[in-house]
Amino acid sequence: MSAPTETPTGASWEELARSGAAQEAEAPAARRLELVTFELDGDPFAAPVAQVREIVRLRPITPVPRVPDAVRGVISLRGEIAQVLDLRRCLGLKPAVASRSSRIIVIHGEEGGVCGLLVDAVRDVLRIDEDETLAPPPGEGDLVVALCPRGDSFVSLLDLERVIELGLARTS
Amino acid sequence: MPSILVVEDSATMRSLLASALEELEPAVKITEASSGFEALRLLPRSSFDLIVTDINMPDVNGLELVSFVKNDPAYRSIPLIIVSTEGSERDREKGLGLGADAYVVKPFEPDRLRELASDLMARSRGQE
Amino acid sequence: MAARRTRKGRTRSRAEREFVSEAEEIVERMRDDLLSLSEQQAAGADPDPDLVNQLFRAAHSLKGLSGMFGLDGMSELAHRLEDVLDRLRLGRVADPTGASALVEEAVALVASSLAGLGDDASTAATVGAISDLTGRIDAWLVLPTEAAGDAPDLAIDPTLLRALTEYEEHRLRHNVARGRYVHQIETCHDLQSFDAALSELGEAIKVDGELISTLPSAAGGDGSEIRFLLLAASDLDAPDLAAHLGLPESAVRCTGRSGDAAGEPAPAAGAAAPAVPAAEPAAAGRAPGDEVETLKSIGETVRVDIRKLDELMNLVGELMIQRRTLGALAQRLLADDQTTRVGAELDKVHKGLERKLQELQAGVLEVRMVPLRQIFEKLSRVVRRLRRDLDRAVKLEIRGADTELDKLIVEELVDPLVHVVRNAFDHAIEPPAEREAAGKPVEGTIRIEAYQRGNDVIVAVSDDGRGIDSERVHRKALERELVDPEQNLSPKEKLDLVFTPGLSTRDEVTETSGRGVGMDVVRANVTALGGLVGIESTPGQGTCLTMTLPITLAIVQALVVSVGAQRFAVPLSAVHETLFVAEEDLQRSRGGELLNLRGQALPVRRLAREFALPQTDPPDKMSLVVLGLGELRVGLLVDRLEGQQDAVIKPIQGPVADLRGIAGATELGDGEAVLVLDVAALVEDAGRLREAA
Repeated sequence: MSAPTETPTGASWEELARSGAAQEAEAPAARRLELVTFELDGDPFAAPVAQVREIVRLRPITPVPRVPDAVRGVISLRGEIAQVLDLRRCLGLKPAVASRSSRIIVIHGEEGGVCGLLVDAVRDVLRIDEDETLAPPPGEGDLVVALCPRGDSFVSLLDLERVIELGLARTS
Repeated sequence: MPSILVVEDSATMRSLLASALEELEPAVKITEASSGFEALRLLPRSSFDLIVTDINMPDVNGLELVSFVKNDPAYRSIPLIIVSTEGSERDREKGLGLGADAYVVKPFEPDRLRELASDLMARSRGQE
Repeated sequence: MAARRTRKGRTRSRAEREFVSEAEEIVERMRDDLLSLSEQQAAGADPDPDLVNQLFRAAHSLKGLSGMFGLDGMSELAHRLEDVLDRLRLGRVADPTGASALVEEAVALVASSLAGLGDDASTAATVGAISDLTGRIDAWLVLPTEAAGDAPDLAIDPTLLRALTEYEEHRLRHNVARGRYVHQIETCHDLQSFDAALSELGEAIKVDGELISTLPSAAGGDGSEIRFLLLAASDLDAPDLAAHLGLPESAVRCTGRSGDAAGEPAPAAGAAAPAVPAAEPAAAGRAPGDEVETLKSIGETVRVDIRKLDELMNLVGELMIQRRTLGALAQRLLADDQTTRVGAELDKVHKGLERKLQELQAGVLEVRMVPLRQIFEKLSRVVRRLRRDLDRAVKLEIRGADTELDKLIVEELVDPLVHVVRNAFDHAIEPPAEREAAGKPVEGTIRIEAYQRGNDVIVAVSDDGRGIDSERVHRKALERELVDPEQNLSPKEKLDLVFTPGLSTRDEVTETSGRGVGMDVVRANVTALGGLVGIESTPGQGTCLTMTLPITLAIVQALVVSVGAQRFAVPLSAVHETLFVAEEDLQRSRGGELLNLRGQALPVRRLAREFALPQTDPPDKMSLVVLGLGELRVGLLVDRLEGQQDAVIKPIQGPVADLRGIAGATELGDGEAVLVLDVAALVEDAGRLREAA
C-alpha cells in the first residue's frame, strides 16, 4: 500500500528527517542546516529536513471541490488522508505537469497534522553551516528565508508556512 | 404466507439455509432457531408449515427434535427436512426412521432444498 | 442471496462476511480446546468428552461452511479433521496424542488458509500444504481402529434409544464400560425456563457422571410445559442421584449397570509426555502471576453487530442537526420583540435537549468501546502455548485489562500485539542459565499494560530480557544499506531503526499465522489506525514497546457512487433509496430541479454541478440517490452506483480547514483517497434553497 520512498544516497528520508530534528535539538555553536532540495520550474529550492516527514512518488490525487487553486486534492498515506498543494501554484508559477520525477514532499503541519507539497523533482540533501548562507534579495524576503550556496549556484530556502499561506490566498 | 422454522446452531449455515428458502415463490416467512431448545420454545408460538433442522446440535439434537415433533399430535403433521452431513448415514437413517420426511446433505444444493420445501408444503396443504 | 459488487468486482454477501467471522471464531475455539486437551493428556487425565465433542462439531461446521463457499481445499481438510475427531470421540483411537498432534496441525493450517483468503499468493502456498497434510491424515486413518464394542444390555426406553445419535451411543457405551449406573430421568418444565433448568440439572449430573441425551417427550397439559426424558450416567445410584438433583425418587429410574465394573483402558498419553520446564504451572487453572480472568467471567456481554451501532450513531448525528435547527429557531423568536417570551421558553427546552443528546452520544460511543481484556486473553493463550513449545519460563503480567478502546481498533491490534509478544518470547527472554548468570530471576516477565491518557490509549509491552543493542541495530541497518553511513543518529534513532522495513530477519519468523509479520508491519498497522509506536530498551535489562492509539475510529457502510471517473462515498445510513432517472424525468423549477417521486416533489442536486466536476459522458440512465435526514429529502444525481463498502472515515489533514460538503475521506482499498460526502450539508442546502424559491 505505501509507495516506496527513495533517495539518491540509498538512505531513507525518514532517517534523514529524524536526524535533522535531532540535530536541531542539539543546537551546537555553528548551526548546521540540513536541507532537502527540490526543483520547481527548473529553479532549485530547499526546505529544512526537520520539517519533512517523508517523500513519496506521485500517486493519484483525488480532487476536492471548492478549494483554492493551489490545492490539487488529497492523497492517502497508508490510511491517513492529506491535502496536497501544488507548490508551483503557491509561488504563482504555472501549474505542475506530472512527470516521472514529480514527487510529493510530506511535511509536518501544525498540531501534528501533515500536508503534501507537489514538486517537479527532489534532488538531494544539502548540509551547510548557517553562516555560509546569504540573505535573500529584497522583494523575496517574505517567502525565501536565505540563499544557500551549492557548487557555483544558489538554492532558495523557503519559508514553507508562509508559502502555503500565500498560496492558498491566491485566486488566479 | 407459509411459515418455515429453520433450526441450526451454526450462524452461517443458518443464514445460508434462510437465504435459500427466502427465494421461494410465493414468499415465505422464515423463523430461525439456533438450538433445539429454542425450537422447542418457538413451536407453540406460531403454526409452521415446514421445519428444517440440522442433526448435530448441543442440548436437544435434531433426532430428538424429530422424535418430539412426530410424537406430538399438535405438530406431527408438519413436514420436516433434516440437514445432515455426508458420512452420517446412520444418523440420517434414524432421522427418517423417526418420521422425518426428507433430507438434504451438506453442502446442500439450494435448488434441491427449495424443491423439497415446496413439494412437502404443497403436499401437506393438499391433505388438509 | 443479496450480493453487492464493489468496483473491484468482489462479491460480499451477508453470509460471506459471517462465514469469515464465524470460521475464525471456530478456529480460535478449537485452538483453545486443543490446548486444554493436550494439557489433560499430558497430565494423564481422561480427556473431557465434551471437549472432544466440541472439537468434532467445530470441524463439522467448518466442513459444511467451507463446502458451501467452494473452498474445496479447506473443506477437504476439515473433512479429514472431522474423521480424526470422530474416531477420537467414539473412543476408537489407540494413540490419542498422535491424533491430537494431527488435529493441531490441521487447525493451524486452516487458520493460515483463512488468513490468506483473497490473497492469491498465499492461497497457492497453502494449497500444497493442505494436500500434503490430507495425505498424511488419510494414511493415519487407514490404521486399525479400536473395536466399537457391543451394545450394552440396558432397560432403556426404546424412544430414547431411537433418538440417540452415533456419538451419544458411544458415550453410553463408554460410561457403561466405566461401570457407571445408567439412569432415565423424567422432568417437566415451564416453556419459559426449561433451558435454564436443564442446564442446571446437566451441571449437577456432570459432577459424578455425564448427561448423555436430552429427549423432549411431549408438551404437558395446557401447552405451557414440556416434558423431558434424560439419559444420564452416574456414579451415584438412583436414590442418591435423585437426592443430589433435588428430584423426587420416582423421577429417576435406573436402567442398569455393567456387571463387572471394568476399569477404563488407561490412556497411553501419560508416559509420552514431553519434558516440562520446572516453572510450568498446573495443567488446569491459572498460574500465579496471571492477572487475567478466564473467558467465563465475561458472561454479561452482548454481541452487537457494529453496523447497528453505526446506525445508532448516525441517528444521534441527525438528532443533533435537528437540535441545531431548533436552536436557530429559538434565537429568531428571541430576537423578535413580539415573540421573545416564547423564544425564551423554546431556548430553555432546546438547551435541555442539547444536554440530553450529548449524553446519548456519549452513551452510544461507549457501546462501541470494548475492554482490551479480550485481546489480553488471547495473548495469555499465546504465551501458554509458547511456554510449552520453548524451554523458557516466562510469566505474563497484565495491567489495565479494563481499559477500553473502539472495537475496531481492538480487532486490528490483535496481530501486532501477538507478534510483539512472540518476539519478546523468542528473542528477548534469555534461557534460564543466562538469566541466572545475570542475576535475574529465572522466570522472565512480559508485562502488558494499558491505560488511558487524554484522548489516547497507551498499550505498552515490556520485558525484562536481554534488551536491544542500538549499535547492533544500526550496524545491521548499515550492512543492509538501509541507512546513510554518514548519518549522525542518536541512540534513540538507532533503536528506532528496528521498524525499518527489510531490517528484521529472525524477527520475521513465520511461526505466526502464515502472515509475514515484522516490526515494520507492526508500525504500519498501528499507524493505519492513527496511532504511534515507539520503542525503548536498555541492553541487559529489558525492552519496552509503546503503542499510542486514538480512542475511537468511525466506520460506516458507504454507498460508492461515481461521476465521470471520480468516486465518492455516501454514508449508507442517509440513503433512503436509489433509482435510475433520465433527463426527461427531471423538471426545472425556480429553486433548481425536481423529480416527481410518488407524488412528492423531490429537490434534485447534480453532484457534478455541486462539485464543479469535469463532466465526461454521462450515461443515458443516471442514478439518483435519495438522501434523507430527518424530514428533509434530496435526490443526488450521479452517473453510476458502484456498490457498497465499509469505510473508515478519516479526517482530511492539511492547511485548508473548512471543506464544505465533505465529511472526510476514506480509502477503499486501492490506495486512492475517496471523498466522503457530508449529507447534512447537502440536505440543508437543498432545503434552504427550496424555501427561498
